[in-house]
Amino acid sequence: MRYELSVNGQTVAVDVAPDTPMLWVLRDHLDLTGTKYGCGGGYCGACTIYVDGNIARSCQTPVSTVADKAISTIEALHENHPKLVEVWEANNVPQCGYCHSGQLMAAAALLDRNDSPTDADINAAMTGNICRCGTYTRIRAAIHEVAAYDATATGSEEDAA
Amino acid sequence: MNIANVSRRNFLKGSGVFVIGAALPARANLPDGSVTAAFEPNLFVALDTDGTLTVTSHRSEMGQGIRTAIAQVVADELDADWSRVKLAQAPGDAKYGDQNTDGSRSILMNYDRLRDAGAAARLMLRQAAAAKWGVPLDEVSAENHKVAHAGSGQSADYGELAADAATLPVPEKVSRKSEAEHRFIGKPVVHVDNGDIARGKGNYGADVKLPNMATAVIVRCPWLGGGVAKVADPAPRPGLIGLEVIDPAPPAGPMFAPWGGVAVLAEDTWTALSVARELDIEWTASPNQSFGSEPLTAELKAMLESPGQTLFDIGNVDAAFDSDGQELSAVYETPFLGHMPMEPPAAVASVEDGKCQVFASVQDPQSTRGLVSQYLSMPLENVDIRVTLLGGAFGRKSKPDFVLEAVELSKRLKRPVRVQWTREDDVRHDYYHAASAQFHRAMVDEKGHPTAWLQRTAFPSITTVFSGQALMPAEWELEMGFTNLPYRVSNQRMESAGIRPGVRVGWMRSVCNIFHSFSANVFADEMAALGGRDAIEHRLEMLAEGGEMEVPGMQPPPGHAMDIGRLRHVIEKVRELSEWDRERPEGTGLGFAVHHSFRSYVAVVLEARMEAGRPKVTNSYVALDCGTHVNPDTCAAQMEGAVVFGLSLALDGEITMKDGIVEQSNFHDYPMLRMNEAPPTKVHVVPSQGRLPAGVGEPGVPPVAPALSNALFAATGTRYRSLPIRMA
Ligand code: FES
Ligand code: FES
Repeated sequence: MRYELSVNGQTVAVDVAPDTPMLWVLRDHLDLTGTKYGCGGGYCGACTIYVDGNIARSCQTPVSTVADKAISTIEALHENHPKLVEVWEANNVPQCGYCHSGQLMAAAALLDRNDSPTDADINAAMTGNICRCGTYTRIRAAIHEVAAYDATATGSEEDAA
Repeated sequence: MNIANVSRRNFLKGSGVFVIGAALPARANLPDGSVTAAFEPNLFVALDTDGTLTVTSHRSEMGQGIRTAIAQVVADELDADWSRVKLAQAPGDAKYGDQNTDGSRSILMNYDRLRDAGAAARLMLRQAAAAKWGVPLDEVSAENHKVAHAGSGQSADYGELAADAATLPVPEKVSRKSEAEHRFIGKPVVHVDNGDIARGKGNYGADVKLPNMATAVIVRCPWLGGGVAKVADPAPRPGLIGLEVIDPAPPAGPMFAPWGGVAVLAEDTWTALSVARELDIEWTASPNQSFGSEPLTAELKAMLESPGQTLFDIGNVDAAFDSDGQELSAVYETPFLGHMPMEPPAAVASVEDGKCQVFASVQDPQSTRGLVSQYLSMPLENVDIRVTLLGGAFGRKSKPDFVLEAVELSKRLKRPVRVQWTREDDVRHDYYHAASAQFHRAMVDEKGHPTAWLQRTAFPSITTVFSGQALMPAEWELEMGFTNLPYRVSNQRMESAGIRPGVRVGWMRSVCNIFHSFSANVFADEMAALGGRDAIEHRLEMLAEGGEMEVPGMQPPPGHAMDIGRLRHVIEKVRELSEWDRERPEGTGLGFAVHHSFRSYVAVVLEARMEAGRPKVTNSYVALDCGTHVNPDTCAAQMEGAVVFGLSLALDGEITMKDGIVEQSNFHDYPMLRMNEAPPTKVHVVPSQGRLPAGVGEPGVPPVAPALSNALFAATGTRYRSLPIRMA
């Protein structure tokens, strides 16, 4: 089947079986290998993408269900979340890094809807993403740091206004 | 190692997949081979005329930060501008020396060598400048990518001097900087690959794509040694190339050859996965079908009831047990574990025109090269092994079975092939960390100290994957936390026993230290409790007298000894860090453990309580002495990761086999610690510059599980002697 997709703001078309998960469409057919395969079963979050702005497990998302939706991937994340990416880098959050496409996508989604997440909020939002290297404490600290930065940044804008 | 092409069915070639619209980013995702630049005084330094410094990492990066560390050392001695440093990844080649990235020893083996590489280049750049300006060498200084002559005010960028420096002879002896002069060594430098990783551009084994590449998913026989008796043809479908039958490795040889199975070859991964899922395969029998982990553990425990092979015997243990005193004995058991790196094994191979090129996330590209060359009967120089980033490894990717699969399939298909392991493949066909059992028996005095101590350990040895004959644990496995305990008791005997498993066993992050540290640290805690003693006070008293204790070393340099003073220091440090003496709330307990492995000293305190029938770790504290270290932030990160790794195995890690078949398959039945259970971790890295560099990647793991068991005892009064810790 031929599908026209919107990926990271671009229109692309692929010819694949309707049940092909977006994970493999991105990786094999669109050369967007930032989205990772970790389990194929919805357990690990390594394959996290956004579908119309919502978090989705791309290994559980058949291409046939997203043809009319806006898909965005880790490759585009830094454009909208530069501070998050910067803090991630500067704090040496990743170890092997393989889970971090998914971790970053989940963290950005959390910060988009909650500008001052508590530890409990972080647990709720991030527990679906496994990190075998065990970088959780740094992920938590980085999310808090970005939230604190955003609070200051927003604060000063308001002051200026 | 030969693989018969029992069946070869070619189906209609895959229908095309095409992309329209705006161009997506093209990827340049092939890992480097050898580097070329204007000035290459040695294997690690390549300086271009524009001043770009390319440092070659010959060790594999799997999250331990080695690429950054290598660059830090070279760039420091070279006085480079960090913003102009790039990394290249060496292919497998003996010219680099050892590339086997395991055993937590990359810095130990390479520290001085890397410093010399940087220092030699720096000296040559100064020499080039001195000659160019006609001034004495000792008036010429180098700093931040520039050489300068104060007297004349002249200065030149390294890039401008590269061509001249390249004409000079490479000095045989160079002087290295003093510690005070270090700018990158010993500093918390940001890892070189973070930027790519955070943008989805990190290149792992599975990310490599070659022109005309096919993808293979292999359905392997559920039991070791079995092969394919019969496989039904799948229905043709677009994208499906065909099936290839792979014969199992012969039972007696080293078990790095492919496992028997049916490879589904397709133009894309999903087609391969979909067909693989529906294949109807009949397998051939194997003696390993009678293998079960439960009977194995029962057998190990039975072995502990009679004397094993004596490894160490001082005083007279038997006589001491006949005398008066308090006797304590306990049996500990630990299960098989899976490595489960986040990236399941994946490799791309292209066998063409008598040459073979491989792109894979392997820990040892050199041994992989040797094995591929042997496997294909191809001269070594025709085999090129390129190393990608490793999405975690923990020892799994030291075993290149997945590379040989890709090589075999590419040879048959005459086109590049990527083999993609599924998570299920990874869980079911791992080289498992061995199940084990230990018996400890001691006569204990009124202070809780052993006057006699008998220890027995039994487990299937890793040497069984190398030889069909091997049975007994090897000396190097026993030196991992068993024969090298830091306690000296006047009457002490250590014994071991082995067994042949019906699965592949292999080394996993910290190896036998995991179970040896578990049993020894819990038993020590039991002795302290019997004497009514504070666990840390008691342990400090138990340490052998004196400063250094000779321990048979795993690796060079020889004569490396366990320093009891340093061990004592990390114990004292973790006591301080954890505020050990501070009252904790009712129901919360502190547990302590200490272990020396990979030449490092690690003490851990965990704070834990029971919550809804499951242990909850509320805080963790780690003190590490790893000698000279390049990046203290990496050391801290490795300890944080080790706490999570250790808790994963302590709380949930268990692989079981029945009828030769692994019963787990994915993260739902082999769970990992997740964010909601990850405790805050405080790490103290002992300033220990000037001492020999020691391990960082592995030594944090062994003290974690026993510290948890001990914390739960303090919290609840119940002893947990088996892993994973299960509530009664
Ligand atoms: S790969 Fe999709 S959740 Fe693990
Ligand atoms: S950084 Fe390796 S799995 Fe998370």
